[in-house]
Amino acid sequence: MKNGVLFPLWQIDAQEYDAICAYLRLTPKARLYDHLSGYLASTPFRFPRPGGFSGFLAKPRLTGWRIARLDLATKLFIPNHPIRHILNCAIAVHECDGQGYLEMAASPQAWNAAGSILGWMAGFVVNLAITMPWLGWQLLSYASRMAFSSSDSLAGKRALISGVSHGLGRDLMLHCLEHGAEVIGIVRNPESRDALKAELPASAPMTLVVADLSQPDALVAALVNAQIPAASLTIAILCAAVKHDGRSVLSLANLRDTFQVNFFSIAEFAGWLCGSGTRKTGDPSHHRVERTGDQDPSVEAASSPSSLARDDGRGLSTTTALVLVSSMGRWHGMHFSSGYNASKAALSIWGESLEMELRQHGGRRFTVTVVEPGLFASGMTRPTALTRLLFASRRQVASRIVSGALAGRKTIRPPFAFALLTWAACLMGRDFRYRLLARAKPGGVRR
Amino acid sequence: MRTVVVGGGVSGAHAALTLLERGHDVELWDVGRDEAGFAEPGTGFHEWKTRLADPVAQLLGTDLGALIPPATAELLRYPPSRQFLTSPKDPLWRFQSDGFFPHTSFAKGGLANGWGANALSFDTDDIKEWPVSISEMDAAYKIVYQRIRVAGPIDDDLTPHLAGVYPSEPPVRLSDADERLLQSYERRKLKLAKSGIRVGRARMAVMTDASRHNACDYCERCLWGCPKAAIYNPRFTTLAECEANRGFRYVSGRLVLSLISSSRRIIGIRYLDTSTQEIREEPCDVVFLAAGALQTGAIFLRTLKGARVEVALHTEGLMDTAVVKIPFVSLASVGRPLDVRSFQFNRLILGVITDSAPWPRYLHGELLHLTSLLYYPLIERMPFDSRLSKKLFFALRSALGVVTLFFPDRITTGNRQVLVDDRNGWNAVQLCYRETGEKEDYIRQSVSRVRSALRQLNCLPRGVARSPSGAGIHYAGTVPMGDGPKRCDPAGRSNLFPNLYIADGAAFPSLPSKSITMSLAAHATRVARHAEL
Repeated sequence: MKNGVLFPLWQIDAQEYDAICAYLRLTPKARLYDHLSGYLASTPFRFPRPGGFSGFLAKPRLTGWRIARLDLATKLFIPNHPIRHILNCAIAVHECDGQGYLEMAASPQAWNAAGSILGWMAGFVVNLAITMPWLGWQLLSYASRMAFSSSDSLAGKRALISGVSHGLGRDLMLHCLEHGAEVIGIVRNPESRDALKAELPASAPMTLVVADLSQPDALVAALVNAQIPAASLTIAILCAAVKHDGRSVLSLANLRDTFQVNFFSIAEFAGWLCGSGTRKTGDPSHHRVERTGDQDPSVEAASSPSSLARDDGRGLSTTTALVLVSSMGRWHGMHFSSGYNASKAALSIWGESLEMELRQHGGRRFTVTVVEPGLFASGMTRPTALTRLLFASRRQVASRIVSGALAGRKTIRPPFAFALLTWAACLMGRDFRYRLLARAKPGGVRR
Repeated sequence: MRTVVVGGGVSGAHAALTLLERGHDVELWDVGRDEAGFAEPGTGFHEWKTRLADPVAQLLGTDLGALIPPATAELLRYPPSRQFLTSPKDPLWRFQSDGFFPHTSFAKGGLANGWGANALSFDTDDIKEWPVSISEMDAAYKIVYQRIRVAGPIDDDLTPHLAGVYPSEPPVRLSDADERLLQSYERRKLKLAKSGIRVGRARMAVMTDASRHNACDYCERCLWGCPKAAIYNPRFTTLAECEANRGFRYVSGRLVLSLISSSRRIIGIRYLDTSTQEIREEPCDVVFLAAGALQTGAIFLRTLKGARVEVALHTEGLMDTAVVKIPFVSLASVGRPLDVRSFQFNRLILGVITDSAPWPRYLHGELLHLTSLLYYPLIERMPFDSRLSKKLFFALRSALGVVTLFFPDRITTGNRQVLVDDRNGWNAVQLCYRETGEKEDYIRQSVSRVRSALRQLNCLPRGVARSPSGAGIHYAGTVPMGDGPKRCDPAGRSNLFPNLYIADGAAFPSLPSKSITMSLAAHATRVARHAEL
């Protein structure tokens, strides 16, 4: 299959496609799934995002039972729900296919038709009798959860995210796009930019900025050159990081590189964001700008440099959430990861200090959120038995980071169980930590 | 004398051919994009799908851009493989719209590449507001019906209301469901006549005489492009006839932007060379604007601006046909097998004859039993879950049909084209269009009448689908016949520029319900016949 699932609210994976085909009595075909998935990847940017109860219904995975309930419920009450787009498109692509059409068109003739229709209508009544109570139960579940959740719509907001080409940064980008934000993504090189551009739908409101964070001032210079006003950002998530695994703690070159990417580039960015935003341009060789969304004129306008500079119609963001993605590793040393843990410790402590200083600013208000993720599936962790045990879904972590930061939370540590384990290990003393971590194996350089 | 016809659609082709027949040399300027041919002649629609490498891309587009989403009024879109339509993303597109979604074409043959083939003529009642006599129009119709062969009955219940139609081919073959409906109509026609309903066989510009090499072979692919060119297309016939004439020159790659005038005479043409993207000018002596009502209106407005005429830079009018679809289930055909091959467009028509002044007495409807389309938008519109809707739809398919009503239009204050921003040296045009309350009332009454008639024909009507404004593709009235500087005289000659002729639907002062194409050809023919050259 060519297309992966980028936007789970709208897209379906191969297993869900199989369930859809089983429900519609059609034979799944990889070629048709590719068409379906590619189309659904563009739907978040073409149709209204499902909010409230509709969004609640869209989140869980599709199973045969759930498809049957959602199909009827949305046909009756929620005509723009993603499942309607999924079913409509699934029927359309199968109808275009010779075999799919024959499967659909096979129908009873003459008097059998009348009998079948009566039987189907009786089945419809039964379906209705099952679906309505189910829908009522879903509504109750939604109402009970709504009391503890905030709105997750990012419509009209502009988010800057670094390190969007993979790992947590990529999931943060997809989450923000799916929830209606315009995203300014920072990637390290043109190759990453081109790969990402090819993967995302052309209509995605995405601006890609190339900046090599290992170069001093590169990020700020790239943003200034792209004419992105600091005040237009609602949220800025600094997620890019480098980890030189297996190198000596005494390797100063690696240490400098790590601190430049993981710490100083963030401090430079924070200075630009919270300061005047009128830094010097810097060496242009370290940054390039590329925008996607060239097929939709409105999106193009929204992400063109001039509109960003004018902040076209959006107004300035009254609050900017600065999110510093640190690590639970900042609580302890780890011999093979060289300066990574040290840089993250510096980031966490510096972030706290920054928050203190910014509190004294008048006028625009900034919030600083330090995120200290534990183990989850990212480019920074290797899939071992332990990581699988303590696995945190990157999608859920991304959602928690964005909603937490916008709600003004100072620290986010997902999953919290891992944070408790880390702190317990810290309390057990250095010898215990040595015995625990000495067996950990390095994984090379990861960015 | 350098005579230039602007536009390579039906109007331009017939204007050019008429001028050539008068012995004049003619240049026809056109953007003139070519649409690729249609493969696999003779292969039926459903079999064709099995032969395509990627049928989804062919029928819905590689990005599924032609897929009709749920909860929309649309039931049908031209497939992306048909390249004759211009998209708003096209760099040559210069229309802005406020709720009016126009279809335009830069293809050789114009919008006629995708027309529904219904061939009707306007009668006395239809053109009662025109400063043109029916005898003048009829003379032109007779010429046009010699150039365009029309399949249809010589005489039926609709004949008295469809004066000026001259069929020369056998009617299009009916499907079994059509036959049953027609039998039902025969049994009840006296009662239906009292409510003004007439049903008859369609008059279609399609070759049906099986002895012809390009006769229709009922492959059910009309919408996706007739592989045999059995449906009339000026690209293959009228323009081909022009090209056989030594006095004719077809000039493609030119998008006419405006005309250059001096002392109230057109002296040149300003155009965009689409290959170099450069704006150029060339002199000319006489111009026939036949680029379609929207483009002709835009060219005329830019010409007015360049001529510094002291008039407001908006057209006198903008008309289009409102399209309403009434799906139905024909009870007599439930559970019957489908025809193996059929004609994809409508084989029957329905006329509603009423005194609904100021509208024409005849309201045209196309009555279609579904044979071969992409059905998913209809399935999605059914009031059941998708699985049941799909099963029900295919069980009932042989009995499913739709009546499409085409509502007439009149020039109304506020419905017009307005010249707006200047970009790259040529102005865009805003299309302002709103339906009036009077017309909405007429639509409501007519729909109610047709639904009632369907019930009398043992059909169950189910819902009403209204196409978006602009979907009628019967644009007219932007430089209408009448008095005033922004109008033309009964001969199509501009009241402001005596060597400029409005040879397309832009000149229509009202828009009847009947299909417009034959009247476009007749008007262009009449204008070219009487032009002072």
